[in-house]
Amino acid sequence: METGFINAFWYILISAAVVPLMLGVGALLRPKQKSKGAEAMAYECGEEPVGSAWVQFNIRFYVVAIVFIIFDVEMAAFFPVAITYKDAVMNGNVALVFGEIFLFVGLLVIGLLYCWVRGDLEWVKGLMPTSTRGRG
Amino acid sequence: MTVGLKIVLAAAQILTVLSAVAVTFHPNILYASIALFFAFCGVAVMFVYAGADFLAGAQLIVYAGGVTILVLFAIMLTQWLYKSKLRDIRMRVVAPLALIAPALTYGLCVALRGLGDHVLKTTPANFEAFSSAPKTMPIGQALLTNYLLPFEAITILLLSALVGGVWLARPK
Amino acid sequence: MQPSAAFAHALNDSIGVLPLWSWAAVTAALVLFLLALPFAGFATFIERRVAAFFQDRLGPNRVGPEGILQFPADAVKMLAKEDFIPAGADRFLFNLAPLLVVVGALSAFAVLPLGRALIGADLNIGVVYVLAVTTLIPPGILLGSWASQNKWSLLGGLRAAAQIVSYEIAVALALVPPILVSGSLQVSTIVDAQGWAWGAENAANYHFWNLFYNPFTFVSAFVFFIAGLAETNRIPFDLPEAESELVSGFNTEFSGMRFGLYALGEFGDVFVMCAMFTALYLGGWQVPFVNLETFWIALPALVIALIHLTMFMAKTLSLVFIVMWLRWTLPRLRVDQLMGLCWKGLVPIALFNVVGTAIWMWVFHGQSLPQLLAKAFSG
Repeated sequence: METGFINAFWYILISAAVVPLMLGVGALLRPKQKSKGAEAMAYECGEEPVGSAWVQFNIRFYVVAIVFIIFDVEMAAFFPVAITYKDAVMNGNVALVFGEIFLFVGLLVIGLLYCWVRGDLEWVKGLMPTSTRGRG
Repeated sequence: MTVGLKIVLAAAQILTVLSAVAVTFHPNILYASIALFFAFCGVAVMFVYAGADFLAGAQLIVYAGGVTILVLFAIMLTQWLYKSKLRDIRMRVVAPLALIAPALTYGLCVALRGLGDHVLKTTPANFEAFSSAPKTMPIGQALLTNYLLPFEAITILLLSALVGGVWLARPK
Repeated sequence: MQPSAAFAHALNDSIGVLPLWSWAAVTAALVLFLLALPFAGFATFIERRVAAFFQDRLGPNRVGPEGILQFPADAVKMLAKEDFIPAGADRFLFNLAPLLVVVGALSAFAVLPLGRALIGADLNIGVVYVLAVTTLIPPGILLGSWASQNKWSLLGGLRAAAQIVSYEIAVALALVPPILVSGSLQVSTIVDAQGWAWGAENAANYHFWNLFYNPFTFVSAFVFFIAGLAETNRIPFDLPEAESELVSGFNTEFSGMRFGLYALGEFGDVFVMCAMFTALYLGGWQVPFVNLETFWIALPALVIALIHLTMFMAKTLSLVFIVMWLRWTLPRLRVDQLMGLCWKGLVPIALFNVVGTAIWMWVFHGQSLPQLLAKAFSG
């Protein structure tokens, strides 16, 4: 393991400790009193909540997540190639790496263009028969 | 490795295993998916210990960040699913499969041993040096030389996955 | 040995009270408790004063001189408030959500280059580390909003998750040009490569700030900044917390210190975003045109560290001020405009910048625009 990760672990550990620390200090300071009844109700601008808040929602969030995850995987595969480019420029075998980068970006652009042209990137869609219940 | 580091590693391993058990057996599907998120994080820590620093980052970005969000959206998309109990179906389908898991693990170990020296040669003596060396550049160079064709294949696979996934999610 | 480790060793030799291993813990605690937490608190106060300035009113100026003690007063108030969890909420997730948000924002401080010797953890995957730990934030926000059992919260949380993950692609793509230029994911290497000084003998290997490296990185810097604003839910991208439609969005049911933790996460994230912008595009700790290590008089390490820290904080805090300035300048976007801007605007532009930077490096053999200009002028 790279030694720097030991420091990074400490940062993660201490930042995780901040949350119980803050809430714990607060618990010592404040009066022990709990809201009951209408006070403990979810806030909906004074109206009584109707039904559960855990409603079904729109499929377009799912489309965003799919496009995101594909791009995310591509980025993860692309970073290692990207850092070899400078060496390639200095050592002269730049054509291969550039071709790789170009092909890579080109395929991403093709995928993006496909979604764009077919209207998958539109947030407000003309006909969405399944979206009557969902809200965004 | 110091005692503190061993404790962190053990904590990560326990977190991963407990989360995996929760993924399998928790009756609430939302909690199961959160347990999956913690299992991903635990695996990332183990990647760090194995010296695979870039893979740890990619694991967090792609799995803990990406897949978790996708799963959460998918759960919240299907109405009432997160209110139903999943225990019955789990017990009928997953529990028998869980019994085969030790056998599969053993098979995996045998297969890894079959790979031979290439995997197992990193003895504890040179492991420190090996694991503290940066891995991102070697990965990039491997992707540009020996693994050029798989890399291209992955790119095209991802493109088709994008087109297919978006097509499936399209309202009909 | 890394410079940061060398610095710790030097400190340890001169003080020598603590065992060496504990320096990692001490520095982490110092950075988080003396930089991250006070910054988040102070930023809430400054934000209100800046808002007042832009709206031609006074703002909070009663507690302490110029109201400077407003944020400790606010902190005490938050601590003393009731620890409220709404009836019907999912208590476990309600507790877990602020933890994920705070850890996601604060643990990114580990790789921020406060100075050549003042990096908490100079990982060789530094840039990827920041992306990796900040991915804890969208699941945290989504789970917290879901756990609140409140319709406003859930709508805000869904918007936040969709917005943050979309703009994360734009951020990641805008990180690529500096990575191509310096050939490393290590933050210190990226900053070092931007330390071009007048008359330095190694000028061929060092270029000026990445912002001015070439026209593509110049555009890429703006892509990064805009996408970073969206990642941190700042105006004009604050739809998840749009107060005129969603009460307070995903943190509607979080009150008292729990709300404080969300605010801490948000301002921590803003600082991380501005600091990464500084490191990647504005030369990080570098003093423009001067290389302190090859200065004409040898400076002590502590002085260099302080100058680096001052430069870095000056650049970063200026960016934080711009973020606050934008809040009172731009109107909020609509949801469809938001997604359109990301996928049809920033992502294509960022992809174009990646290819453009690659072509530039090929054509000019890895030299930056300032270097080429300097060469042309000097003959």
